This record gives sequence, C-alpha cells and structure tokens, in this order.
Amino acid sequence: MPLLDVRNLTIELDTPHGRVRALEKVSLTLNAGEIHGLVGESGSGRSLLARAILGIPGPNWTITADRMMWDGNNLMAMTSKERRNLMGSDMAMIFQDPSGSLDPSQTVGSQLMQAMPKNPKAYFWQKHKHAKLTAQKWLHKVGIKNPQKVMSSYAWELSEGECQKVMIAMAIANQPRLLIADEPTNSMELSTQAQIFRLLSQLNQLQNVSILIISHELETLAQWCDHLSVLYCGQVMESGPTEELINQPYHPYTKALLDNMPDYSGIEAHKAIMPTLPGSAPALQHLPIGCRLGPRCPEAQKKCVNQPSLSHLRDRYFACHFPYHGETTNDDPTA
Amino acid sequence: MFRYLLRRLNLFLATSLVMIGVLFYATGLFPVERTFALTGIHSPTASQLIQIEQDYKLDSNGFMQFIAYLQQRLSGNLGVSVTSHQSVTEELGTVLPASFELAVMAAVIAIGLGVPLGVLASQSQHKLTQNTIMAITLTGYSVPVFWLGLYLSLWFGVDLGWLPISGQLNLLYEIKPVTGFMLVDILLSDSEYRISAFKDALLHIVLPATTLAVLPFTVVVRSTRSAMMNVMNQTFIRAAEARGMHTNTIILRHALPNALIPVLKHLGLMLGSFASYAIVVEMIFSWPGVGSWLVSGIYQRDYTVIQGGILAVALLIIFLSILIEVLHTVFNPLSRKDLYASN
Repeated sequence: MPLLDVRNLTIELDTPHGRVRALEKVSLTLNAGEIHGLVGESGSGRSLLARAILGIPGPNWTITADRMMWDGNNLMAMTSKERRNLMGSDMAMIFQDPSGSLDPSQTVGSQLMQAMPKNPKAYFWQKHKHAKLTAQKWLHKVGIKNPQKVMSSYAWELSEGECQKVMIAMAIANQPRLLIADEPTNSMELSTQAQIFRLLSQLNQLQNVSILIISHELETLAQWCDHLSVLYCGQVMESGPTEELINQPYHPYTKALLDNMPDYSGIEAHKAIMPTLPGSAPALQHLPIGCRLGPRCPEAQKKCVNQPSLSHLRDRYFACHFPYHGETTNDDPTA
Repeated sequence: MFRYLLRRLNLFLATSLVMIGVLFYATGLFPVERTFALTGIHSPTASQLIQIEQDYKLDSNGFMQFIAYLQQRLSGNLGVSVTSHQSVTEELGTVLPASFELAVMAAVIAIGLGVPLGVLASQSQHKLTQNTIMAITLTGYSVPVFWLGLYLSLWFGVDLGWLPISGQLNLLYEIKPVTGFMLVDILLSDSEYRISAFKDALLHIVLPATTLAVLPFTVVVRSTRSAMMNVMNQTFIRAAEARGMHTNTIILRHALPNALIPVLKHLGLMLGSFASYAIVVEMIFSWPGVGSWLVSGIYQRDYTVIQGGILAVALLIIFLSILIEVLHTVFNPLSRKDLYASN
C-alpha cells in the first residue's frame, strides 16, 4: 500500500477574474521510504499541491479529489482537527523561505523547543531542560556545529542555510513519515544546496522518512530522487522512476525539458539562441482547454483539446495522446 | 544597546531643555510684573524682593537669567500658587496621582478590550462582523470627546442615575492620602468604611475612564486588526500551522507578539492627543487631576500654576514617548537589527 495516494485532485481558486482551476486532475503516488521529486515551472501549482496534501489550504480554495489516502486513511473525510494532529506528527513541511518561516520576534531556540516532542515522563520543572537538550541533539543531527549559539540567535542573524537546517530539525523532531520540502534550497549558494540535499537523503536512508521534494531544477532532482513527477500548468504530464524517465521520456514536455537543458560543453556558438518550447506558460485566467501544453506542444493534434487521462505502461505514468513509446521512438527522427 | 540608550537620554534632555527655554521666554511675555510671574508672590516685602532678584538673577543678562530659572525649576521650586498661596510643587504632588489613576484605568480598558476585539475582527470570516466592528471603531474615533462625556454623564449619571458624574470620591468618606492614588489609599486606610469607599471610588472612575478610553480603544482595535491581518499572511504562520500547532496557540505565541509591536508605535504617536483628551475629560467630570487644575489655573490667571502644569505635562509626554520608543526597540528584535547596522 502506498503511503500517499492522491487521485484526480483538483484545486479551484476564487480570484477577482472568476474561478480558476489552478490544479486539474493531478494524481500522485508516493511509497514509503522513497524520495519523490515534483518538477515544474513556477506557477505550475507545485506549492498548491504540497499545501493541499499537508492540509493548510488558503481561504479561497476549493479542493475536490476522487481519492486522497494517507496510509489507508481517507484524508478527505478527516476533520480539520485530525488533519492538524497529523501535521505535527506524521507529515511535516519545510518552506522555500526559511528565514521567513521563523518567527522574527522569538529566538530560534524557543521556537525549536516548542516544536520538540514532549517527554511524558518528565516532571514540569524538568521539561524545559529536556526540551533544550532534545533541541540541541536535533540541531547537531542536522549538521549545525554550534547549537548553543544558534539557539540564542534570532532568525535574521542566521544564514538561509542555517535557517533551513533549523526548519528541518523542527520538522523531523517528531519523526514524521513524510517530509514535504517546498523548494528547500531556493536562494542558497551551491555548496549549501548540496548540504541540504545530502541531509535530506541521509534522513531518508537513516530514518526512513519519505520525502516529497518540489523544485524547478530537473538536474538536481534527477540526482537525488527515486521517482519524478513532471507538472505543467497544474496538470501532471508524466511520472515514473527517475532513471527510466530521464533516459526515455514518454511525454513531449519532459522530452523538451531534457533536450533543452544546457549541457555546458561549450559546443554552442557564442550568443546562440537556447532551444526552448515556443511561447510561454499561460496565465491562470487564460488556460487552454484540454491538455494545457497543447498550444506549445510539438506533437499536438486535434485530439489534444480533450484532456488525456493518465495512462500507464508498467510503472510509468503519462498523460498524452501521442506519447513517445518504445515502438514509436525508433521511427522518431528527433530521438 | 548602551549607545542607543545614551542617545535616547540625550534626546530627552535636549527636547526638555528646548521646552523649558520656550516656557522661560513665554514667562517674560505674561502681562504682569516679572517677579510675580516667576514666583507667584503678589506684593513681596523688601526682603522677599531681594531674595527673588538673587534667586532668578534678575539684574544679569538673559542667559544668566535662564540658567537661574533652570536651576530653580529643576530643584523643585515652582513658586507659589497665586490663588491658593500654596507651593505649586505640593499641589502638583496631589493632582498628578489622580491623573495617573485615571490614565491607568483608561489604558487598562482600552488595551484590555481593544486587543481582543482587534484580533477577533482580523480573524472573523464574516463580512458583517468585520464591518460592524469597523463601523463602531470609526464612530468612536470621530465622536468629539466633550459631547461624548456630557452625554454619557447625562444618560448614565442623570437620567438613569447609575453612576456618579463628578469627583473622585463621595464627600462622606474621609481618606488620608498616603500615595495619592485614591484606590490604593482606600485599601491602605484602616477606616471601617473601607469597602464601601472602595466601591464608591470605583463607581466614580467608571464614567471618566470610559470616556477617556474611547479614543485609544479605537486606535488599538484598528491597528491591532491591520497588524494581525498583515502578520497572519506571513510564512512563519504557515510554518507553525504545518508543525501542527493549534490556531489559538499560533495567534497567542506567534501572531500577537509580532502584531502588538506596531500597535505600541501607534499608541506612542498618539500620546499628545491622548493628553489633551484627558484634560477635557477631567474638566467634564471635575476629576481632581492635572488637567482640571491647569484649566482652572488658566481661568484664574494663575501664572505659576500654568507654568508648573505645562512643565509637568510636557516633561511627562516627552518622557513617555521616548520610553515607548525604547520599549519598542526592546520588544522588537527586528528594530535592533537596524540598530546594529547603523552602528
């Protein structure tokens, strides 16, 4: 049984321009103990999906889904209080703006101690010391060398990397089974990015935490994730095991992403135009009907005005009327 | 931090000095004898006149006179009141605590009711509740205090007869002043009518405190609401939710401390207008505080009382606004960030 199983999740937003389908029929399956990557451009609804899974929707959202199962329990049927309880213990999330995710008027330590699991055996006068020790232990585990100093600082006195480590410590202290990382390394330099990713993959291996990483960097995700899902404009394009997906994309969008990746080999001429899909991602108020990639898709035909359902070939899932299958790829001159 | 405090202290001293300078200049403009304006002694004897001229250095130049004036005023010599022939300092000592008592009560009402209502207004999803609260606060903000005070005393004091409309305590009770704060003095006294006197004093303070609290209350509600709406949209609230904290805990522990910082700043900015409100309220309810004392001094051309009252009130306002700024820095770690950057 998968840990998280989402089928045909649709999120509609009430905007001044009317109701908009920001996420349309998105399916996602996440097995226990895997690292799942969610790739998409900004505005493709990745963060919406993450927040809907966790259960912190905005005030103007309408969420509908055929199925949203968490470890065999129906998330849709839970009350908001049950969801909130689940959030602290089983699911946790880290955000793309780590220094903004910490309360600016409290020290990092006091917030960290609040998030630590309570020791039911400790008497009330021992609780403070206990929480402090646990907090230090977790800070040490996420790779902070001087826990004492970090705990007495305010969020704005720390670097983004340190803040993100603190956030990770808070998130994993209650030993969640799923960690949702929403662009965890945004606005960090490369070495810090690598540290954070290494930390996440260590957590996955040592504590068996399933991780859902959201990012726009396909290369980075390909390096760390077991499974990948590609999102475009609120629709799932393709998902499957990373290796197969990278080696042989079925969907035109994935293929375009992979083909257009700069290879830094220096063969391209100076100031050569970088290959991209024509056009740009549509605004939420002007979404095309059917497959939303339609107007930009090199393979698009008349049939694409109907949204393709998610079909699967072994453990690969893709939503396309004209996928690059094994048989057809041989005939495809571009392959 | 030490440097910051030193600079604030410097600001306090400089502002006060300028204020006293203006007061000194204005004293010279009073249409009376200079010795009378400075001391309040109407027809001094020869020896008194010599003493006054010595004290205020009336035969030297303007600067030396100002220095002497400063010396006298700062050492607590504010002259004697023209009408009561008592020392102005002593009179100040009796009226200041009464004003403080009223101000503290009004502040308790304004903050105690205003903050919860502001939070409620920011959290409520109903347009109707929000608009009702906003309409009430806007009305409270714009209603003139002299009208409000008079009508409250007319309704609750005269028509309904629920509350006394003037004074601090019924004349029946005799309470020996110890601290000057009536409520505290009553509790300290060993009179057998202590309890009923306390009740009476509480009843007396209700109307003036409520009237005075209306303006700060509306300011608190409006600024708390806008600050809360602002804070609740920030990422750290989302993050706290994602950690599974209860909404009430989030509001109390994370949202409110951050939201109250701008509220404090707002209150500090409005301090001057609150003070003038207090003077009007004290007049309406004949509260024996600085305000009514000052106004009656103005009516009676009591030049020493006018000087003493203005000096005390202005010094207090300068001190309190600087105190609020310092508190703002203490409670707001983010403003300390700018501080480090500037040093």
